[in-house]
Amino acid sequence: MKRITGILCIMFLAAGMIFANGAKESASGKDVTLTVLWFNDANESDVFKSTIQDYLTANPNVKLDLQVVAFNDYEQKLKLMISGGNPPDLARLTTAQIVTFMDTLEPLDSYTNIAQVKKDFMPAMLAYGINSKGQVCAYPTEATANGMIVNKTAWNKAGIDVKTLSKTWTWDQWEEAAKKVLKANDKVKYGLAVDFTPHRFSTIMYEMGGRFLSADQKKVELNNPGTINAINMFKKYHDEGLIPQSVWLGSENPAEMFQAGIVACHIGGSWNINQYAKNVKDFEWCVVSTPKGTINSSVPGGKFIAAFKDGKNKAAAMKLMAAFSDKAHNEKYCLGTSNLSSRQDAAIKYPANSDDFAVFQKDLAATPAFTAGEWRDPRVAKLSATIKEQIVQVLMGKESAEDAVKNVDAKGAAF
Amino acid sequence: MSTQRALLSDLVTRYRAGHNSGPFFYRRLYMRKSTSKGNFNQTLAPLLFLMPNMLIFLLFIIIPAVKGLRMSFMKWSIFETPQFIGLANFKELLKDDVFWITFRNTIVFSVFTVFFLIVCSLALAMLLSRNSIRGEKAFRAVFYIPSLISMIAVGIAWRFILGDEMGIINYIIRRMGGTGIKWLTDGKLAMASVIFVTVWAGAGYYMVIFISGLQAIPKELYEAAVIDGSSSWNTFWKITMPLLRSTLLVVLVLSTIASFKAYELIVTMTKGGPGYATKFIVQQVYQVAFTEDRLGYASAMSMILMLIIGVFTAVQFAISGKEQDYE
Repeated sequence: MKRITGILCIMFLAAGMIFANGAKESASGKDVTLTVLWFNDANESDVFKSTIQDYLTANPNVKLDLQVVAFNDYEQKLKLMISGGNPPDLARLTTAQIVTFMDTLEPLDSYTNIAQVKKDFMPAMLAYGINSKGQVCAYPTEATANGMIVNKTAWNKAGIDVKTLSKTWTWDQWEEAAKKVLKANDKVKYGLAVDFTPHRFSTIMYEMGGRFLSADQKKVELNNPGTINAINMFKKYHDEGLIPQSVWLGSENPAEMFQAGIVACHIGGSWNINQYAKNVKDFEWCVVSTPKGTINSSVPGGKFIAAFKDGKNKAAAMKLMAAFSDKAHNEKYCLGTSNLSSRQDAAIKYPANSDDFAVFQKDLAATPAFTAGEWRDPRVAKLSATIKEQIVQVLMGKESAEDAVKNVDAKGAAF
Repeated sequence: MSTQRALLSDLVTRYRAGHNSGPFFYRRLYMRKSTSKGNFNQTLAPLLFLMPNMLIFLLFIIIPAVKGLRMSFMKWSIFETPQFIGLANFKELLKDDVFWITFRNTIVFSVFTVFFLIVCSLALAMLLSRNSIRGEKAFRAVFYIPSLISMIAVGIAWRFILGDEMGIINYIIRRMGGTGIKWLTDGKLAMASVIFVTVWAGAGYYMVIFISGLQAIPKELYEAAVIDGSSSWNTFWKITMPLLRSTLLVVLVLSTIASFKAYELIVTMTKGGPGYATKFIVQQVYQVAFTEDRLGYASAMSMILMLIIGVFTAVQFAISGKEQDYE
């Protein structure tokens, strides 16, 4: 009797488990439409859709409502959606935005094998998405790096093998060589164009040994010799006409100037490879290592995908994110968008410009880890407009570099 | 000459007296009658018709304005609990150099923009309301079309035209052997460029308002002026301007408010630069609110902006009313 009772109990439990599992499957299989808020640098929304299509085909109950918003309006829209209690299920975020929205993001820890995630992705990239409790809150989708892109044809015309020179060059050597390039080319009017953002400027600043925050990252501290030297060098190049004033003073687009062939070098992001490969037909270009200051450095950056604490379909959102971030999907997405991968195990064979991607990757590897720490600090994001304005004040000769950094520090002390 | 002026002034005064006493007199009579009757059609119905508009005004203007006033006394970040700090935001504003630079820029931009908008739109209206030019309607459309274009598109288009290195104008200048002009890189030229483009984009809109005002002036007055031998200049100042005063006031108020709120065009054209040269209060409010995440402080700035617009508008109404009484 005992045996029969025991068997019945086991059968009852087994049946319960089977039905319970069935119910779970049924619950997870219910129709769900995931709202995804997205912005484009180039073709990312299209590549995202095509990358995730196989997941959607395998899970017909999951639908996407992909809302592509212009980047200038993106952050404000997302803030309003979150503060209104109606966040999207998923959102694409920049390094600056992930810091702003960190407290509203749902940690991945309870949905996935977090140890494996930490193993799979570059630590410097993953670090951006870690909250104050040490929980990972976002998957890095692609990595970006700042670097120097040069008009190879113009350098060749000056008789300079820029690929070889750039392997060891310093800023003084760059200046000397750039002047030769300007002399040898009538059309090339300037040596260098730098994007009108503190992020791109920080490439030069880090190389000169500067930083935005104190070494312990507890306070805003631009008042250090490296930052002041970087600002002064930047001003000197503007005054000498090596850098066009129309970018930082007149808001002209440096990428357009490079494509028009009027600047010899452009300090921009790795995403420019895609644009230049498509648009530049009149001359040869390539990516080279940025000249060395006291150190070699790039600035790590990238984009992330994250779900929100107040999201209505968190489980489904987490599953889709995990699928999108696995090796195969990540490689497909980065290949399609011509971006560097944020995964350590990625092996992407780009159809073109593989050497250029490799230079960015090499510069990124040489970049000190503290740079990521600085760019994930909310104070740096909040001060970015002020930093930009103060640098311009110096370029216009209205302030000294010393006063400019003190002004930023004073404002930073209030945050 | 002085006799002519006296005759014209008398003509205008008589016209105005007649104009005002006629319909206005009957309107007052009608109003008196309607209040005494007090039936639904004449008392509640107008209020019901006004209700949707008042509701929208309350929801989207009055309530946000009151909330904004409340926020200006708070330390308020979008993801943090607001904290009451009294007048601290306003005290900080007094010491904020950048705010006062943007304040000065806003005033300079507003004064020049409003002046040139009125002059240009009135000149266009006078030119295109007399049926003296062939294709007058086509010209009106040509001048009006820019006001239909989004200010963002206008800003981007003019940046392509005025850009230092990539701009069309400087390209032409360089092709002709010149060195190019720093339209958007020099602070003063950038401010002048922004004012010019704002006037270009807005003149057509105010032109239409002026045309309707001009067409409401009876032709008999001009005919009388011609018979009296009045010069064009004299006719303009003694007939056109006095009878256009209410239209002028509308244009003045609308263009002043619009100039204080200018944002999209400036951001797309100069991003407020070079430096702070074309940065206005609205851009600073946006930056403080959404980049620096200091909503309370940004609200305090907005309150100051609202106060300035209110004072300007009140002064404009006061001046206009005073001059009307004078006659």
